[in-house]
Amino acid sequence: MNFESLNTSLQFLKPEIAVSILLVVVVLFDLIFQNNKKALPVISITGLLVTGYFIIEQFTLNGYAFNLLTADAFGAFFKLIVALSAIFVILFSISSSEIIRCEDRQGEYYTLILGMVLGMFLISSATDLILIYLSIELLSLSSYILAGFVKTVERDSEASLKYVIYGGVASGVMLFGISIIYGLTGSTNLYTINSILQSAQLGGFTFIFAGFMVLSGIGFKISIAPFHFWTPDVYEGAPITITAFLSVASKAAGFALLVRFIKITFFDSMSESGYWILLNVIDWQSLLVLLSILTMTLGNFAALWQENLKRMLAYSSIAHAGYLLLAVAVLSNEGLIAVLVYFSIYLFMNLGAFFVVMLIANKIGSEDVDDYKGLGSSVSFLGVALAIFLLSLAGLPPTAGFIAKLYLFIALIDANMVTVAIIALLNTVVAYYYYVRVLKNLYLVRKEVEMEPVGVSFGNKIIILLLLIPVLVFGIYFTPIVNLAKSSIAFIGF
Amino acid sequence: MNESLLINFAVVILFLPLLGFIVTLLLGKKVSKIFIFENLVMLIGLILSIVLLIAKVTTFNNVSISSEFMWIDMGDVPVIGQIQIFLGLLLDDISALMIFVVFLISFLVHFFSIDYMKGDIRYNRYFAYLGLFTFSMAGIVLTHNLLMMYIFWELVGVSSYLLIGFWFEKKSASDAGKKAFIVNRIGDLGFLLGLLTLFLTYNTFSFVEIFTEISQGNLPLNSEFGLTITGIFIFCGAVGKSAQFPLHVWLPDAMEGPTPVSALIHAATMVAAGVYLVVRIFGILTADAMLIIATIGALSALIPATIALTQNDIKRVLAYSTVSQLGYMIMALGVGAYKFAFFHLITHAFFKACMFLGSGSVIHAMHHEQDIQNMGGLRKKMPITYATFLISAIAISGIPLTSGFLSKDGILAGTYAFGTLTGHWYFPFIGFLVAMMTAFYMFRLIILTFHGEPRNKEKYEHAHESSFIMVMPLVVLSILSFFIWYTPNPMDPEAGWMYSDWIKNPELHTPENLRFGFMQSDVTSVITPPGEHRIMYSETYTAALHHVHGSAVFLSIAMAVLGILLAFVMYQWKKISADILADKLKPLYKFSYNKWYFDELYHKIFVAGTIGLSRLIAWFDLKVIDGIVDGSAAVTKAFSKSIGWFDDNVIDGLVNLTASVSAFIGLIFSKFQTGKVQTYIIMVIFSLVILLFLFKSF
Repeated sequence: MNFESLNTSLQFLKPEIAVSILLVVVVLFDLIFQNNKKALPVISITGLLVTGYFIIEQFTLNGYAFNLLTADAFGAFFKLIVALSAIFVILFSISSSEIIRCEDRQGEYYTLILGMVLGMFLISSATDLILIYLSIELLSLSSYILAGFVKTVERDSEASLKYVIYGGVASGVMLFGISIIYGLTGSTNLYTINSILQSAQLGGFTFIFAGFMVLSGIGFKISIAPFHFWTPDVYEGAPITITAFLSVASKAAGFALLVRFIKITFFDSMSESGYWILLNVIDWQSLLVLLSILTMTLGNFAALWQENLKRMLAYSSIAHAGYLLLAVAVLSNEGLIAVLVYFSIYLFMNLGAFFVVMLIANKIGSEDVDDYKGLGSSVSFLGVALAIFLLSLAGLPPTAGFIAKLYLFIALIDANMVTVAIIALLNTVVAYYYYVRVLKNLYLVRKEVEMEPVGVSFGNKIIILLLLIPVLVFGIYFTPIVNLAKSSIAFIGF
Repeated sequence: MNESLLINFAVVILFLPLLGFIVTLLLGKKVSKIFIFENLVMLIGLILSIVLLIAKVTTFNNVSISSEFMWIDMGDVPVIGQIQIFLGLLLDDISALMIFVVFLISFLVHFFSIDYMKGDIRYNRYFAYLGLFTFSMAGIVLTHNLLMMYIFWELVGVSSYLLIGFWFEKKSASDAGKKAFIVNRIGDLGFLLGLLTLFLTYNTFSFVEIFTEISQGNLPLNSEFGLTITGIFIFCGAVGKSAQFPLHVWLPDAMEGPTPVSALIHAATMVAAGVYLVVRIFGILTADAMLIIATIGALSALIPATIALTQNDIKRVLAYSTVSQLGYMIMALGVGAYKFAFFHLITHAFFKACMFLGSGSVIHAMHHEQDIQNMGGLRKKMPITYATFLISAIAISGIPLTSGFLSKDGILAGTYAFGTLTGHWYFPFIGFLVAMMTAFYMFRLIILTFHGEPRNKEKYEHAHESSFIMVMPLVVLSILSFFIWYTPNPMDPEAGWMYSDWIKNPELHTPENLRFGFMQSDVTSVITPPGEHRIMYSETYTAALHHVHGSAVFLSIAMAVLGILLAFVMYQWKKISADILADKLKPLYKFSYNKWYFDELYHKIFVAGTIGLSRLIAWFDLKVIDGIVDGSAAVTKAFSKSIGWFDDNVIDGLVNLTASVSAFIGLIFSKFQTGKVQTYIIMVIFSLVILLFLFKSF
């Protein structure tokens, strides 16, 4: 490798480099100024904003770094989602009572979040199986620790342990799959594998076997059925800030990887109307449709029974992964736009819902739906915000959640997948029940005990508004995100 | 100043009142002086709109500037087709003039209200609502497409509702608000139908694009009738908002709102929005549609004028007069006198707002006395109010040297010319008749209010001239009612800048065979170089207009003088006793006094009709259905037992079953979640094997 190519490669890695530097800075700062924990989130957010600048720069780039990574608009879009949600999660952490209790270990907390961010950045742009595996491990290892960050709480430690064991198996299976693919093709680079698949008839059971194993590794990250089992337990057990982060950012990175893996490895040609014609190796469409229907049905129906709001939101996020997977299953540019639009809206509404639940839990010390009875008037601002976030998650107009679902259904109908669309539609109807149940408890059930009005600090009001305004504005004026999504489906190499 | 800067100006002008509304509403309870902010915002808006108007008519005269952005882009939607919706602003001479009028009157009304509303418990909220109204009105004026027009149209309706019912503790006020809202809904339904027809045909809401399509011969519903009916549908919106016959009943009741609101909304701006809408779509109206519009306008000019002759509530007289004058404008548009219609819209806005504010001044001075029977002699107590009111009354009667003469005479000449060209003589006939009635009832109002001896001594003693804040707007508006602002020649508007340079005949897009004969383009217009405005009217029309002009002027002055004289004879000099006359013409008098029984009629037909229908259904239900039920009671009883069993066990069972099944599925799903990580892993591996089995045969 000569110096010039190193230089060009590094040009394409600016966001990753920025996050790495930031990570080191946070560690050093924590070591040197041990008593000044207040500055850590500020440094992290500042650093992430700088990173954000580099990400935006990347929207116009097109190139490879070290033949392992690509810099393209598609990756940049997901990095932006990750960086934005990281910023929000750090903002949440400032007022999370769970995190404040572990004051002495806050340095670790922010470092590990940045570690996750770095992992997700790499996942979003990796095109080599080795790097894919390593970056998934980087993300997973950081998140295992964060899931059990509040060591004193038993359910946290339990969640963390389950997560480690489960994740270990998943990554083992994935690694097995990767090694088989390497054995069959002699390469770990997705583009090379693609060209080998195009020229030689490599089908057969072995390759399908390997492909499924890789899929199960990715499926673990995006928590689709049947690889989702860890999700409810971990989401419920982890600190709520981390749950929020996992449910948005980690999922976004996973979806970026899934789309990239399928679209690069199995790509044959593009039809005129933007449908991807894939190589005849694995019937991806049927597989993904099957999994997505399974996922959304399972997520929605299981959510009906949940008493803990965090756990309910965990199942709801499984259901949302199902909708997103369905959009991927369309295997078209139209579907990909739907994925991107969905994510940019899901970011705001899901984080918002988790944040409000966290703030209410800070005050009333419970996340149980039953404890919300008659709270409506004492949590006036929070209650209204929660109502809007939940209605948006349910997909009711005029919130942005409606637009997200609208684009999904347009893509489905455009691809003539009407039956699937109807199943998805019925699923959203089931989902209304558990979202609205929370609102019913808030506003329609009589108060059992009188409660002091729950105040919200000015800063937190601003954070909620930052999440709330997009949910409302994008519900009415959504052309900007659609345009951004349209310009972000450009893949390198296609 | 360039075009994009001008558009930016328009955007700022549009959103300033919204800012005022939000700030005033949010801080209204905490900061008691926040109304000053709202007034300041309106002042800035007024200054900007003056700058905009000057720049528009000097530098960019005759250019229409528009700017748009994409609001919704759904791309190629399956089943429906391409859906792209643009929002944007359009600045032409008409909208620049109109936005100035809106902001001038809105600012004066804001200013006037500072004193008029003093002491009200919801003082700041009142100003917030005024801001919301001004925002919505500015949206109607500046928009470049029908969809935004419709959205702001409804917003105007909402703010009007809020302001009419501002004193909602009073039942009559909240009823009037509801009445205005519901009656307007009827008209808006037509508007909605019209704009949906246009969108389905052209996939766009933009005026310019729709016009281009129509001039290329693509008609809505692919038929000439389609174009006519679309025009009439959209006109329905104007009928509601401009309170035209038969939907005029809401406007007099709307006088329950605070008087400055009546001046702003129900005299000068919102009710003029209907006229403005017809002005906007004038280029696509067919001859048939125009004839209907003219007829509605003529009826709306005549009926309220006859009612105004006998009313005793000062504000109601003005309200009926407003409907009548709006009818004039609509009629003028229907007979093709486009320029005079818009000209009258502007002049009328000034003198009618002046009269409303003047009546507000009187009501304020008389401690909320509105009945002119209890007034009289106020001339000495309130000289400035009297003078400004008198000037406006002279203007509305159409006496030379006033703005009203210029525009009203033009409309009358237009109807006259229309009569000679098409033979529809009843339009000029109604026009001149209404001109006389207008002069009569206006001077009746003035004489009873300001002249003679005070009829209520006690209230008279307490009356006093209003403060500067309330008098200043009156003076400004009455000064604007003189001819000099519009033309140097008091007898001929065509010598003036506004009539000949600023208001231009619009390009016509209706296919030639669907126009009136005199509106078809003749040879000279075809050879007009491209880029210039096509001449809209043929030579014959211009000739006819010139031919009748002299006699129209003479006739209209004669009518006005006759009306005024009659008013003086009856009420000032009392040569003819009004009471005896009323007694002699008792049926006519009662008919007019009771407003042609419209409210009663509508109540009988619609309200009572609805109630009657529901009674009928209830009776049917009670007698017939129940009778059948009773008759077959025995059968039913036996049957019902089995039905009951069926219901309990099967139907309820099915309903409950669906719920239970959902719940059960959920329960099963959540049972998978054992909490034991080893089970999870086994299940994952197991399902992986199943998946492989399912897909292996590919």
